[in-house]
Amino acid sequence: MTDTLSIRRVSASPDAYIPISALRSGGPTYAKLVDIGACIGCKGCEVACKEWNDLGVEPTANFGSYQSHRDLSPKTWLLMRFNEVEVDGNLNWLIKKDACLHCEEPGCLFACPAPGAIVQYTNGIVDFNQENCIGCQYCVTGCPFDIPRFDAATRKVSKCNMCVDRVEVGLEPACVKTCPTNAISWGSKRDMLALADQKVETLNARGYENAAVYNPAGVGGTHMMYVVPHGDRLGDYSLPSDPTASPAPMTALGFMKRMGAYLMGFGVLGTLVHFLRYGPERLEEHGGHGDGPAREVPSA
Amino acid sequence: MAERLLTRFTFFERILHWVVGVTFVLLLATGLAFAYPALFWLTALLGGGPSARALHPWVGMLFTAGMGAMLAVWFRDMFLSGTDRRWLRAIRHYATRDTAKVPPAGKYNAGQKMFFWVQGALAVVFVVSGAALWFPAAFGAAFLQWMRLAHYLATLGGGLFLIVHVYLGTVAYPGTARAMIDGTVTERWARHHHPRWHEEQTRP
Ligand code: HEM
Ligand code: SF4
Ligand code: SF4
Repeated sequence: MTDTLSIRRVSASPDAYIPISALRSGGPTYAKLVDIGACIGCKGCEVACKEWNDLGVEPTANFGSYQSHRDLSPKTWLLMRFNEVEVDGNLNWLIKKDACLHCEEPGCLFACPAPGAIVQYTNGIVDFNQENCIGCQYCVTGCPFDIPRFDAATRKVSKCNMCVDRVEVGLEPACVKTCPTNAISWGSKRDMLALADQKVETLNARGYENAAVYNPAGVGGTHMMYVVPHGDRLGDYSLPSDPTASPAPMTALGFMKRMGAYLMGFGVLGTLVHFLRYGPERLEEHGGHGDGPAREVPSA
Repeated sequence: MAERLLTRFTFFERILHWVVGVTFVLLLATGLAFAYPALFWLTALLGGGPSARALHPWVGMLFTAGMGAMLAVWFRDMFLSGTDRRWLRAIRHYATRDTAKVPPAGKYNAGQKMFFWVQGALAVVFVVSGAALWFPAAFGAAFLQWMRLAHYLATLGGGLFLIVHVYLGTVAYPGTARAMIDGTVTERWARHHHPRWHEEQTRP
């Protein structure tokens, strides 16, 4: 229990900053499993999230969907997206529980320039620490799931923190607690993976032969996983089929920053060596530029 | 021994130079703070992380304005001539102080002219990519990541040039920095470093 908040990674901080206790810790690694097939779309989880995290009400309007709000916001960390899709001639709700997936390899954390603004605990939770956030929104561009939301008034970003304050004292997240159909399960990552496999088998037996677990390898797996009945239509669930924590430009940027540090270091060193070799140019010791044969002054 | 002084830069040119210089160094310092966690403390120059992030683009606007004015005021002097091309080929002799083999420079040597054009081009990269990073909500994630790369590469190029620029303008060539302080240089300095300019200036 004491190990649940050991720190695994801290944004913009060399690994050496991480306390040794984290390396020793074999504490539990949690995961949330969302069985989309068992979701009845009641949005109880949305309300529980608002209540526990004291996020307040955001007025909304009917825009022709059962969805409560159009999008996530700094005050709405969880949104049940009601994707209306026709499957085999029938209208289906391919619901997505849209919230932070708590990636094992968090693109948001890798993109963040502010030390300590994003923290990953050994228990798998990725949390934002607004106190250290500088408001650059790099995390928004780094997240392959488009999760963090920027508040223009406070100039800070926020997102689902997996109810870290509940998990810390041994409770499940509020959405898990509230779900009337047990569509959301909570436990160790290992148990949840096993449960997911069972659920997929059950779905297969019911005729959903494409049922699948969503635990994408491109981000090292996630600590919120989904079981989707139509695993062949990830796009229709608004789930990227191939998310990555290290897209090409960011890999290139990381490499160039390393090279750049050497180049700038050698640049400073180079001028120093040049100075030691040649010293200040004294006007009396050398002739002027072009005093030799190269000099061609137009004789005016 | 009172030596004759030549006026090298007007008051206005010096103001422009220092607006660009001071803003560039502030942007470089805070930019490197965002790029390198070990240098994050440099954000203190603009009041800490959040305010450095808020002010960096505004300082960038000042930099852009200064740079724009500088381009307008100096661009005519900065076109490369035939002598300049020969100068660039002889740059090795310039670096090793084999000065007799260096073609005589006018008001600016080819190195200075290249510095001017490169910084001008980099300024465009800075503003374009910086503007995108300033308003990230208006753009896609992949595009912004490429803009981060572009913004960083411009910083690297500009930073390297700045090191050489400062070195040459101060310790390497004594008597140079005053050109940007009181605007004058000695006649001997001018004859030595910019013989053709010296000749123009002293022609009776
Ligand atoms: C000319 C107008 C400029 C604008 C509008 C601008 C704007 C920005 C913005 C909005 C950011 C993101 C802030 C953050 O990382 O928190 C940024 C980052 C940065 N800026 Fe600028 N900037 C400008 C010029 C410059 C200059 C002249 C330099 C260097 C000499 C510079 C160096 C940097 C660096 C190194 C970063 C961090 C890049 C990264 O880690 O991805 N910027 N700039
Ligand atoms: S889903 Fe996005 S915000 Fe959540 S941990 Fe992954 S990268 Fe970060
Ligand atoms: S907005 Fe805050 S949390 Fe996000 S990358 Fe910038 S400093 Fe980090």
